[in-house]
Formats: sequence, structure tokens, C-alpha cells
Amino acid sequence: MTLKLGLLFSTTGPYAALGQSALAGALGAIDALAEAGTARIEAVIRDPGGDHALYETQAAGLLDDGVRNIVGAITSWSRKDLIPVLERKGGLLWYPCPYEGFESNDRVVYLGAAPNHHVVPATDWIAARGMRSAYLVGSNYIWGWETLRLARDRLQAAGVEIAGERFVPLGSTDHGHIVDEIAATRPDCVVNSLIGPSGVTLLQDLAARDASRRGRAGHMVSFNQTEADLDQLGPAADGLLSAGSFFAGDASPALVSAAQRRAPNARPSAFLAGAHAAVEIFAAAALEAGTDDPRALFAAASARPTPTAMGEVAIDPVLRHAGHAPRLALARGGRFEIVARAPDAVPADPYLARQGTPGAQRRPDLRVVT
Amino acid sequence: MTSFPMHNFAGRTAVLLHRSDEPARRVAERCGSLGIHVLPRSGDLEAEAADRADMVILDIDTGHDGQLPWMPGQAPMPVVGLVGSESPGRLAWALNQGLDAYLPLSALGTLFSALVIAHETFARRAERRRRDAEAAARRGGRLDVIRAVLALMEDGGDEALALKQLRAMAMVEQVPLETAARRLLGGAAPRRAGGR
Repeated sequence: MTLKLGLLFSTTGPYAALGQSALAGALGAIDALAEAGTARIEAVIRDPGGDHALYETQAAGLLDDGVRNIVGAITSWSRKDLIPVLERKGGLLWYPCPYEGFESNDRVVYLGAAPNHHVVPATDWIAARGMRSAYLVGSNYIWGWETLRLARDRLQAAGVEIAGERFVPLGSTDHGHIVDEIAATRPDCVVNSLIGPSGVTLLQDLAARDASRRGRAGHMVSFNQTEADLDQLGPAADGLLSAGSFFAGDASPALVSAAQRRAPNARPSAFLAGAHAAVEIFAAAALEAGTDDPRALFAAASARPTPTAMGEVAIDPVLRHAGHAPRLALARGGRFEIVARAPDAVPADPYLARQGTPGAQRRPDLRVVT
Repeated sequence: MTSFPMHNFAGRTAVLLHRSDEPARRVAERCGSLGIHVLPRSGDLEAEAADRADMVILDIDTGHDGQLPWMPGQAPMPVVGLVGSESPGRLAWALNQGLDAYLPLSALGTLFSALVIAHETFARRAERRRRDAEAAARRGGRLDVIRAVLALMEDGGDEALALKQLRAMAMVEQVPLETAARRLLGGAAPRRAGGR
């Protein structure tokens, strides 16, 4: 049986590096499954180029052509644009990226890190480090708005002062006023929910203004910075703390191989690992169900944990989210060094219903890695 | 700065009124994911169960006034209506009950939104009831204000001076004008104008 699978990633446009990494992961998994003789998957690849209008039309085209499952979308904006067409045409989106939570749609499987895997441990880390003030900056759409709302709530509850909060349009690099404000208010850390070129130039402009910040661990904190575009940040990234479900230091040989064969930068990342796992889970479910019908696939995928190249992944059958062991990592010399890691996978808590009072627990529930 | 509505329902209890097992199971498991304890009921909601609940989620298709231990529009907690048939008669019943939010059974994935909206609507409804009661109490105190003004005029001033004195008393005691008037009258039998 050959399985048809749509791969819908923006491998051109403002956040192309993330799309390229994710596509590499998906293609790497397809290679590995074919070589092992486990499954033959026919990938149907589309590139919306970061143009939100194209996600819907390209997904509709895929679904009209007999594709019923799509691995794809990077931004929440694009995922939300896809949902109506998935509902109309009966498709299923396997979404492999970290996102801000507060969603659980019957046409989506959420395989990336949820806010209890990134915002919660990262803000707990900021508070536990004894930082007194934070400046929040994000891209002007739901990822930036919601991650920074959560960060503000938790940091304020922990007694961390919010020195400022600004949003810039997706892809914009016009943020001189933000650099000026950060220089003037001198916060202990900048919480950064920018994506694409905005994040790159902000970090570099801040480093140009004050080179000493690179020596301060956690001078910038991100909930989605990965190795996919770490090279673009250059030495300015030193000291940046990122939170997520995966860093390259934990890459299995299968992910290293996928990155070397398929990724333009040859580096594993959370986007690569997430898309790799998405394809593996899709294939295992399709083989078990004997069909590519989305309902049957989801039932099979959520019935028990699936072994993947990033470890076993269990999917909550009600909320449709994957569990992950959250990790914190500091960038140094162009790599991420994992500084804390949860001992086991933690179920996703997309509505943050199971989190304690922010600030009540000052230490992140992660083990320090020595 | 934007203020956020209540959005964490963990530890709360919802009464779920639904006669069919499958929708009830789906609502209950989704509530469970949000940390909400569910008390399922297939018949009427008895007052004892309502006392233990923080919110009600009910099936509009089978709802009726006798099912709930309160008068239409007087629910003492947030109520979410599950929309099934969309028949105008059923929707009319739900609207008459003044439900706080509606959730199509085909969109249970958005239960969280319905709960946030229901709790915010209920909070506003309670605030509006409080303000209405306050306005009614003040309307009821108008006669006391007139009587207090007349009592103060017996010291020789005109009605403008008497009202000013009454306002000063209310301001000093930090109470509404009507309350100051009642205190001034001291519960004594009101004297009718004209001394009769």
C-alpha cells in the first residue's frame, strides 16, 4: 500500500528556515520508512511561501487530489487558516510545531510543544534565577500575543516586573524604538516571541548596542528558538535561553541522518524532529488502521504511544495533543546546550488547567543537566 | 491594559443535563480535560445537586422550565446550552431561560470558549442585577429624602439649603442620599407635610 501524504511547509518566504527544517524532517522519515520496508509514502509537496492566503488554496488542492492527511503549517496563523478547509473537505492536519495552546480542533493533531512545555518552564526558570525585570516583545499575531500574555501573567505573579511589552508586524525588522526602550529600561531579560527575520535583527541590534549582554545567561528567552535558524543569529545568540520539546543534543542517529541528508543546514531541530515524528506516527497509524481515513488514523494514533526517532510519543485522545519532556537550553558558540530536562514526558496542557499558581513554585520542574 | 475573563475552571463542578449517553460522555471527557468534575443527570436537576455545582451544561433539545430549580432567567450560576436541533422552538426556550452561552454539539472542541463566555456573561448579569436592585432601593427612598428635607426646613432654611445639608450628611457618612435621609428621620413615624 502506498500512502499519500501532503507536506505543506513554507520553504520560501519570511520563515523559510523553519519550513525547510520541518520539510527535511518529514522527507527524512519518509526515506527511513521506505528503506526499512515499513511503508511507502508518496509525498505531495506544496510551498505557500509564507503567504497566508495560499495555505488554504493549496490545502484545498491537495484534498481535492485525493490527499486526506497533511503534515504542515508552521505558524498558528496558517494552522487556523487551514482548519475551515480541512473541515469542509474532511482532511486531517498533523501539526508538528510548538504553539501557544488554547485550541483543540477535531481536524488537527497537535504534535509540537504546548505552553506547559515552553512558556511555563521558561518563565519559572526566569523567576528561579532571581531576575527582577523582563521586557516582552513578540510578532503581532496570536503566537506573540498569547505566549506573551502567559509570560506576563506568570512573571508578574512571581514578582518579576514587566519593563515593557511591544509587538511588531510578522517579518518586520523596524524595531529601533524597541532597542532604545530596552537600552533605557535595562531589563534582566528580554522575552522574545518574534519569529523569522524580526527575531534575528532584534537580537543582533541589541548585541551591537551592548556586547556584554552575551555573557549573561538568559539575557534573552525564547519559546521557539531552535537550531533551524540559530546560525542566522550568529554570535549574538550566546546566552539565549530557549524552551521546547527537543534540542539537537538529544538527536537520535535517525534524526542526525535525516538532517544531514535533507536539511539545508544539516542540523536537527524541534521542527525537523516534530515533522519526522508526525510522519512516523501517521505511517504507524495508517498501517494499523489499514486506511488513510482521518478518523480511523487518529483513533489508532491516540490508542497507544508510538515509537519515533524522538522517543515514544503519546497523544491525548480528547485534547489531541502530544506529550513531551520539556527541555531548557542555552545557546553558546552556535549550539544549544541543554541545561535542564524533565525526566519523563509531560502530557500537554493546552488550556493550562493543571498548572499551579504562577510563582508559587519558584523552581522549574526540570532536572539540571550536568 | 486588557483584563482577561475567568479562564481556569480546574477543581469546579458542572452539572451535565443530557439524556443521551454518547454526547454526555463526550462533554464529560472534555470537561475532565479542563479539570472540571461532572455530575451527570438524565432527568430534572434537583436543588441538592444544584447546590453542589458551580455551573450547568444542558441539552437544549430536551430542556424544559420544570427541569431547573429556578425561575427562567434566574439561574444562580453560569449555564451553557448545547445546541442540537436548531429548531426555533427549542432556541426560543433557551433564550427565554437567558442561558449564558451556547455550544453546538458538533463543535465540542470549543467547550473552553463556551465556558469562558458563560462565566463572563453570568458575572455581568449578576452585576446588572446588583445595580438594578440598588437603583430600585434608591427609587424607594425618594419619599424619605422629601421627608428629611421637610424636617430640615423646620430649622428655618429653604428647601435648597435643606437638601444641601442632607447631601453634606451623606458625604460625611459616605452613604447614599437616601440612606442619610433614613438615618436623619431615625425611624421615627414620618410626619406628613402640613402637620396632619
